[in-house]
Amino acid sequence: MAETLPRTRAALAAWDGRDLPPEAAFAALADELAAALEERRIGDVSQRLNFEQPGMRALLLRTARAAPRLAAPYAQTLPALDARWSEAETWKLIRRAGGPTTSLYLLRAVDMTRTPDGEIRAVAPDQAVFVTLFLRTLWVSLIVTVACVVLGWPVAAAIAALRPPWSSAALLLVLVPFWSSVMVRSTAWFALLQREGPINDALLLLGLADAPLQLVGTRFAVLLATIHVLLPVAILPMVGVMTRLDRRHLQAAASLGASPWLAFRRVWLPLSLPGVAAGGAMTFLLAVGFYITPALVGGERDQLVAWFIAQFLNRDVNWGMSAALSVYLLAMAGAVIALLRVLTGGVTPAGVRA
Amino acid sequence: MQRPSGLLLGVTALVLAFLTAPMLAALWLSFSPTELLRFPPPGLSLRWYADFFGNERWVLATRNSLIVATATMMVATALGTAAAIGLHLGNFRARGLLVALLTLPMVTPFIVTAAAMFFAFSTVGLAGTLPGLVLGHTVVAVPFVLITVLASLSTFDATLLRAAASLGAPPSLALRRVLLPRIWPGIAAGAVFAFATSLDEFVITLFLAGPGQFTLPRQMYANVREYMTPTILAAASLLFLASFAFLLLTEALRRR
Amino acid sequence: MIRVLTLLAALAVATPALAQRELTVVAGGGQLQDHMRRTLFETFTRATGVPVRDSSYDYNVGPIRAMVQARNVTWDVVLVEAPDLIRGCEDGIFERIDWSVVNRAKFLGGGAETCGAGAIGWGVSVFRDLNRNPTGPSNWQEFWDTQRFPGRRTLRRGARMTLEIALMGDGVPAAEVYRVLATPAGQQRAFAALDRIRPSLHFWTGGQQPLELVNAGEVAFAVGFVGRTANAIRGGARLDLNWDTLLFSYDYWAVVRGSPNAANGMRLIEHMTNPAPLRALTELWPINPVTAEVANDPAVRARNPLMMSNHQDRGLRIDTEFWLDQGPDLEQRFAAWLNR
Repeated sequence: MAETLPRTRAALAAWDGRDLPPEAAFAALADELAAALEERRIGDVSQRLNFEQPGMRALLLRTARAAPRLAAPYAQTLPALDARWSEAETWKLIRRAGGPTTSLYLLRAVDMTRTPDGEIRAVAPDQAVFVTLFLRTLWVSLIVTVACVVLGWPVAAAIAALRPPWSSAALLLVLVPFWSSVMVRSTAWFALLQREGPINDALLLLGLADAPLQLVGTRFAVLLATIHVLLPVAILPMVGVMTRLDRRHLQAAASLGASPWLAFRRVWLPLSLPGVAAGGAMTFLLAVGFYITPALVGGERDQLVAWFIAQFLNRDVNWGMSAALSVYLLAMAGAVIALLRVLTGGVTPAGVRA
Repeated sequence: MQRPSGLLLGVTALVLAFLTAPMLAALWLSFSPTELLRFPPPGLSLRWYADFFGNERWVLATRNSLIVATATMMVATALGTAAAIGLHLGNFRARGLLVALLTLPMVTPFIVTAAAMFFAFSTVGLAGTLPGLVLGHTVVAVPFVLITVLASLSTFDATLLRAAASLGAPPSLALRRVLLPRIWPGIAAGAVFAFATSLDEFVITLFLAGPGQFTLPRQMYANVREYMTPTILAAASLLFLASFAFLLLTEALRRR
Repeated sequence: MIRVLTLLAALAVATPALAQRELTVVAGGGQLQDHMRRTLFETFTRATGVPVRDSSYDYNVGPIRAMVQARNVTWDVVLVEAPDLIRGCEDGIFERIDWSVVNRAKFLGGGAETCGAGAIGWGVSVFRDLNRNPTGPSNWQEFWDTQRFPGRRTLRRGARMTLEIALMGDGVPAAEVYRVLATPAGQQRAFAALDRIRPSLHFWTGGQQPLELVNAGEVAFAVGFVGRTANAIRGGARLDLNWDTLLFSYDYWAVVRGSPNAANGMRLIEHMTNPAPLRALTELWPINPVTAEVANDPAVRARNPLMMSNHQDRGLRIDTEFWLDQGPDLEQRFAAWLNR
């Protein structure tokens, strides 16, 4: 932006912001836009301004194309081309967007925006979406993490207690989902959950439902499929820790008359905590950045933040927006992990004693 | 809990069934004679397997994916384990910060990492090469190894190393005979993560792989507007069966 | 460890310099690209002696932008969507087409852009399962009539195409759609129309989903890519494809800016849009040529009754310029509407 319109920016710097800028600004803009179009670097400034104000891209391109035909005084010929050039707001936008840094993306990522006068306020309700997405992402990730740890713990304990070849067989089954891509697994879930699929058939057969349930496109489907994808991630670190546990601790507990529940609570659980923390943290961190599965099996109210990050980066090429969303996502994940560390009394997810 | 209780085994069986069900569904659907995924499939056919073996791209992609995943696994496991041991045994102040830094690629959306690595690798001529692709996958796979190995190390008693040293064992011997055997399950888990991450990775591959380097995900996320063939189900099933055979083989070898 | 790294470094150095690489064309992959290889790429090599290597991507232009910025261009000719082409052209991501090499006269209207030569057309339209729903909506207003045609409907998740459809469902004639949608009142009208039948609406994200949803009876009427629907019909599915609800656009061949093989890239584009190779491709796959001679060829049309070219005059061409201007704003409002 600063490189594309340097003279326009210099001319606007002297402008008091009332009425309209001086002729020098009009002339510099017409000249620099035409040059940028010819040298094919106008996209930079047109996309940037269009993000602030829809329609700016069309205005700039139109002006750039017409500029070689226009003559001085540009303060009259530009407004004649498009009335928006006679509005102070348009010029303020260009002046403000010319700065080396902007808080706009960080604001937009939490549904805030800035008026042309620099005032910060919430975006119109029909545009607000990201706060909802962040809260939903947090909520879904937490549920998935808790479910994965609770479901994964007994499996890890069983694998640690079983003798080969049973332990390796169970481990192999845990790893089965790893042999196919997330895409294949999501497709398989779609086939299983659909209205005429096996799960609905079973529910009808067992009399648990009177009519086929709508499962595809629900939050339930998202949670089920995501838990399935991430469960091995929770299990493996727990297995890694539990197989090395000294079994004599448990024997000692039993010989001292501890009930199985007490032994579990006072001996087995604390000793396996590093594995639980590692598995839980990895599950949570991955869940926060997860989007392919929710997109495939979820409904319209099940989209997560990471989906938008990928869209902005790869599809819309709005790198500012994807970076801003990533920053908040990282901060959110970091805060949760820090909280986990406090709650588990210093056992960090990575097992390093701080 | 010398013998796992019935309750524990029951819950485990249920969870394992949950984990395997979609894979079995995919296996079954890979024999479907139609493109449309319906249960039960209206018959059985080897159509998609014929498609897989009849198309050199699929075979090549499978081979490339396995090569890249294996290389990634080896490099990431070596680096991740070394880092974990150093971080665990070393005594310095920035340790927590280093761990956070090393796990960052896991939280950063892969596409951000991919774009950044492309620019970095381009300057040294690594972009578009197989070693570059392996390095790219390694960056995102190392955190998995690091975390699992660190978790294993937390149950390791460092006095054992001192005991080994006092008995005259050089550090390399102590590492090999005392430390590694005790954290082996964590290393293995990390290696599996590294392998699986690489096998299913698409975005980094798209940025860093050379034009001739097809991988399975690249074959699969093909043309959005065109028909996705169940050939990918056949590919996944073949990998699944191969891994099963591999396990049986290692188990048989171990028994001898 | 050091040995591994040394090995990697050695391998990197041993990799041949990029300037010597073959002409590389990158398209959407899948079976279509297998057919393209045989009819378009290999015939070029046979005619000119220039070897061609082909690869695939997912139509996301991130990697192309990265390689142009890093000045490490490893793709030469790419198949891109219209909005990416126009934007990429403004941003200097693609070379201008050399119209002295590529014959500009052979394309249909809209098939020749500054930086792109029309490759294939694509579109979406309404389809239904004839076994489950013998009757169904024949135009967008009937599609919006949930009383007469009850049942869930699925649309693509996104503002592009959905808002046009909503306006047409609300009675706006196709020719007026973009004029109305450019006004705040028209945008409100489109969202109000979506609100009206929201309980019956579902939104898909992957191109295969509409077919799966219809096949599974999850939805009664679906808006899906016509190419896939046509393929399913050719594969024996009993589907009704409604051409009066067609929205379409073109994909373009473009040359990545800074490509060391740009000159051969232009020659390849000229070859790939020539009648003979395209005709051969239409014999293997029902593509929609953007070259007039093949698109209007009675023999090609008769062979592929489900080819979009046969029905294009009944459809609405998606206005790329409109979406480049209004897209960011409308997409966000659509996302906000979805999550409300």
